Amino acid sequence: MTDQLGALTTIFTEFYYWVTVVLMFLIHVGFCMYEVGASRYKHHQHTLMKNTMLIPLVTVTWFFFGWWIYWAFPTGPGIAPSIMNESTALITDDSTFSAKWYLANTEYMAINLGDHISGVFWAAFLLFSWTAASIVSGAIIERITTFAFGILAIAIGSVFWTIDAAWGWHFDGWMLKILGYHDAYASGVIHAIAGGFALGVLCVLGPRIGKFSSSGEPRNIGPRNPWLVTVGLFLIYTGFWGFYAACNIPIFDLGPEYGIEGLSYWTATNIYVTPTTLSGITFNFLMSLSGGLLAGYWIAKGDPFWTYSSGLAGIICASAGNDLYHPIQAMIIGMIGVVIAYKLHYWVERKFKIDDAVGAVAVHGYAGFVGLVICGFVLNGYPSSGYSVGAMWDGTTYATINPLGQFLGAIIMFGVLGMLPGYVIAKVLHGMGKLRIPREVEIAGLDYEMMEDAKSDEKAVSSATR
Amino acid sequence: MATVTNWIDHLSAEEVVGAVYPGAGSSETLLVIVGIVLWIGWHVLTARSESEELSRLARKRHGANDHKSNITDW
Repeated sequence: MTDQLGALTTIFTEFYYWVTVVLMFLIHVGFCMYEVGASRYKHHQHTLMKNTMLIPLVTVTWFFFGWWIYWAFPTGPGIAPSIMNESTALITDDSTFSAKWYLANTEYMAINLGDHISGVFWAAFLLFSWTAASIVSGAIIERITTFAFGILAIAIGSVFWTIDAAWGWHFDGWMLKILGYHDAYASGVIHAIAGGFALGVLCVLGPRIGKFSSSGEPRNIGPRNPWLVTVGLFLIYTGFWGFYAACNIPIFDLGPEYGIEGLSYWTATNIYVTPTTLSGITFNFLMSLSGGLLAGYWIAKGDPFWTYSSGLAGIICASAGNDLYHPIQAMIIGMIGVVIAYKLHYWVERKFKIDDAVGAVAVHGYAGFVGLVICGFVLNGYPSSGYSVGAMWDGTTYATINPLGQFLGAIIMFGVLGMLPGYVIAKVLHGMGKLRIPREVEIAGLDYEMMEDAKSDEKAVSSATR
Repeated sequence: MATVTNWIDHLSAEEVVGAVYPGAGSSETLLVIVGIVLWIGWHVLTARSESEELSRLARKRHGANDHKSNITDW
């Protein structure tokens, strides 16, 4: 960097993403608190460790191959040509945004004086990966082995979500070109896929002992520490601010980028490099949160657990189009998503005996799916990209946003890249006898030995007088 | 091993080399291999110890409320 203005722009962008990463760390803190608050005392420590250990597992695999997948797979491969090299192959050539630069052994995956952005951008996406894995973690508490969860966390966090991000959350993604897919703040690419993945795992894993009566009636196993759940969900809200900011490019000149001669237009953009403002999405974030809370309080009759979760579901449902919606549209969409997610949760639980311990499939999966579909109607006709816009199914240009494309996109996110791989991997782990803890351990409590080992010290301390 | 031994020389070069970590340009692939071995090894070690712990606990057949006797200070 040799000129001051260029240096300021670069270092501002570097610092901007760095701040989002720090904020998003709170999402994980929140998920840990939430899960521990929802689990029973005898499982607390293992529940906490399961979610905590996804941090290093997803981080190292994201370094080894997850980040490379994002940059390599926008074309499918074989589905739509890249606008960078006009090939449908994996993008591994010498073009600017090629995966070649993000192999784990390249000089850009380290401190490099010529690259101020790769590390913070890598980390922002990594924090999305943790979130995807953490969503799955909550649904399956108290009965999965840590080994199995580690494998599943890597699969969703460093493989399947990054494929979906390449397809539908990359300026060159084939889903934008062919389907007109639009998902600015990740209703589908994070939430629907993770919810679908969790549902696939739950189908194989089965319910917690005691969740269903002998006649099949579901029993409520409520949160054991509602205050921990409360603080956890507030922290997830807080981290979500960082998530929204991280989905934007903070400062970009769209004139030359779009090839418009003589025009300079500096703006923030969304992940697709189309214009939006941090100010505008702040309206929508808060209004969709409010819509979710209002609807959740009403439909759950003031139940705190569902009301808090509904605030999250409201944001998730509106997120696909929150770069363009009016705030009241965002609020209404959030409300619709919450009502559908809540109703579907209990219908699926009763009908298929699915024990989603924290409602993660509903809050993230169903609300995300519904949000994508609604976005197709509300934003019908908007360009999915600022680059050349063409006919649907063309593939060489970009389709406009449309209801059918969004619906197909939702199926790809929730079903094809979410539920299906979750189910298959869980089946394999089940076949190896590694998926579920033994029945006797589930009854005794995963923490039994830890508690027993500490018993003599605890006794001595509790009876000590000096 | 040091990639930079004099910052003035480094930054005044015609083309400044960005990678400044120890072993730049020669050690990256080896580091990745070591990292992958550590990652896979962690899974093997922890899976083994988890299996042993779960089998040991399962054999004891504790009741659903037995853990309460381990809580001594409320």
